[in-house]
Amino acid sequence: MAERQYYLGLDLLDRQLVADDGSLVGKVDDLELERCDGGDELCVTALLSGPGVLAQRMGRRYGGWVQQAQRALGRAGGDPTRIPLARVVSIGSHIELAPGSDELAGPAMDHWVNEHVIGHIPGSRHAPE
Amino acid sequence: MKRAVQVTLGILTAIGGFVDIGDLVANSETGARFGLNLAWVVVVGVIGIIVFAEMAGRVATVSRRPVFDLVRERLGPAFGLANLIASFFINFLTLTAEIAGVAIALSLVASVDYLLLIPFAAFLVWLVIWRLPFQRMEQLFGLLGLALIVVLVTVVKIGPDWNDLFRQAAHPHVPSQETPFTYAYFAIALFGAAMTPYEVFFFSSGAVEEKWTLSDLTLNRANVFVGFPLGAVLSLSLMVGAALVLQPRNISVDQLSQVGLPTVFALGKVGLATVLVGIFAATFGAALETGLSAGYTVAQYLGWPWGKHLRPDQAPRFHLVVLLSIAVATLFGLSGVDPVKVTEYSIVLSAAALPLTYFPILVIANDTDYMGDKTNGRWVNAIGFIYLVVLVVIAVATIPLMIITKGGA
Repeated sequence: MAERQYYLGLDLLDRQLVADDGSLVGKVDDLELERCDGGDELCVTALLSGPGVLAQRMGRRYGGWVQQAQRALGRAGGDPTRIPLARVVSIGSHIELAPGSDELAGPAMDHWVNEHVIGHIPGSRHAPE
Repeated sequence: MKRAVQVTLGILTAIGGFVDIGDLVANSETGARFGLNLAWVVVVGVIGIIVFAEMAGRVATVSRRPVFDLVRERLGPAFGLANLIASFFINFLTLTAEIAGVAIALSLVASVDYLLLIPFAAFLVWLVIWRLPFQRMEQLFGLLGLALIVVLVTVVKIGPDWNDLFRQAAHPHVPSQETPFTYAYFAIALFGAAMTPYEVFFFSSGAVEEKWTLSDLTLNRANVFVGFPLGAVLSLSLMVGAALVLQPRNISVDQLSQVGLPTVFALGKVGLATVLVGIFAATFGAALETGLSAGYTVAQYLGWPWGKHLRPDQAPRFHLVVLLSIAVATLFGLSGVDPVKVTEYSIVLSAAALPLTYFPILVIANDTDYMGDKTNGRWVNAIGFIYLVVLVVIAVATIPLMIITKGGA
């Protein structure tokens, strides 16, 4: 594969995350950086996703508020998801992830909404016809 | 025949988007007040929406990323959120007006106060979104909306002096009883009605819902080039009909039902029946588009699963947003707000928010990461850029004009 230069702000942040089955599982809301091999340079080690991280990027105070709300909601509020870079299959107009996305926050929130609202409406488990 | 049916996405987007309650009212109103002196705005508006809807449809077809993905991607979280809040609010106002519009169209047949029909109309809208497959929905309301062609028949039946009409339209001036400010205000209203952002939200998401692929790019173009010009012809017909029938009699348009007056005048009862079907289809189509767009925009900004191609339990947060939006719009409509006023504010405010939606589309349509070799040509970019400058100027001028003219009064 040809070497390619990626710009974090341009090519990674705010892109759509797509699971291996094609389902949409969130956005790249933030990035985790660490010193590579103890050197001076910073490396991206993981993609972060979830409303708390997103709000954090717009201002620390908003991040705090959202994270408080999330704690109040428990698991349903969606913990920030940490996706190790090794799980990334490809980076393009969306970011494709390798299998194992069940622990992502997005599907957990969908599950909660299903259990409490949408799942109770007749026809929710059938494709429109 | 298969191809002929496939342009229904464009027709629904145009009939429900271009010719929604906003355009029905704005075009009739300006026709009755300004004659054909603002006809040029419809032409400018349709070229703009053609250029940007084609771009948005192309991006969605090639990359499967619809408009609000691009907004988030290019404006970042904060400006993206600002656009989301503005667009969602405008979209909500439009949804309220369209649901009321459906209820008004029904009430003209049922002879019941339209307020009583609002919950019923809203429930029907939600039911169609919940149960009807995307393509069936689009074919049903796209084709039903063709009944609005009766407004073109109206103008032909009246048999105006066409040369005179063209001369009037080509030499616009501010009528003596109006001020330059009201003229500019209504120009913006017409332009906002033509380029309402939910048209591109819906059209680009529709391209993903219909699973268009690279081989469908011609289909994308056909949809845009058939649907929107049709919408423009219908808009201009409404304006001409109002200018010919209402202006000489000093009738101003402040109710949706008055939109059909020129048709009743020219074609009688059959005309009335047909125009009511058309108004019903256009407002219902627009209610579907705005209802869905409420879910599309939020889901695409936050990266949730969305769309009617999924089972509702596969996109629950999307359906929750749609359901809540329709419910709140119903309550707002029931509070007795004047649907025509709500419409006018929604189209003028949308003019103020337009650049935030159209700028990211233009940028991404040139991004080879998304588009491969399907990026914009030089001419499309030139026109797109000129429109963007115009959009920014309009966005800045809108709110002051709204205050100076007291909402076009």
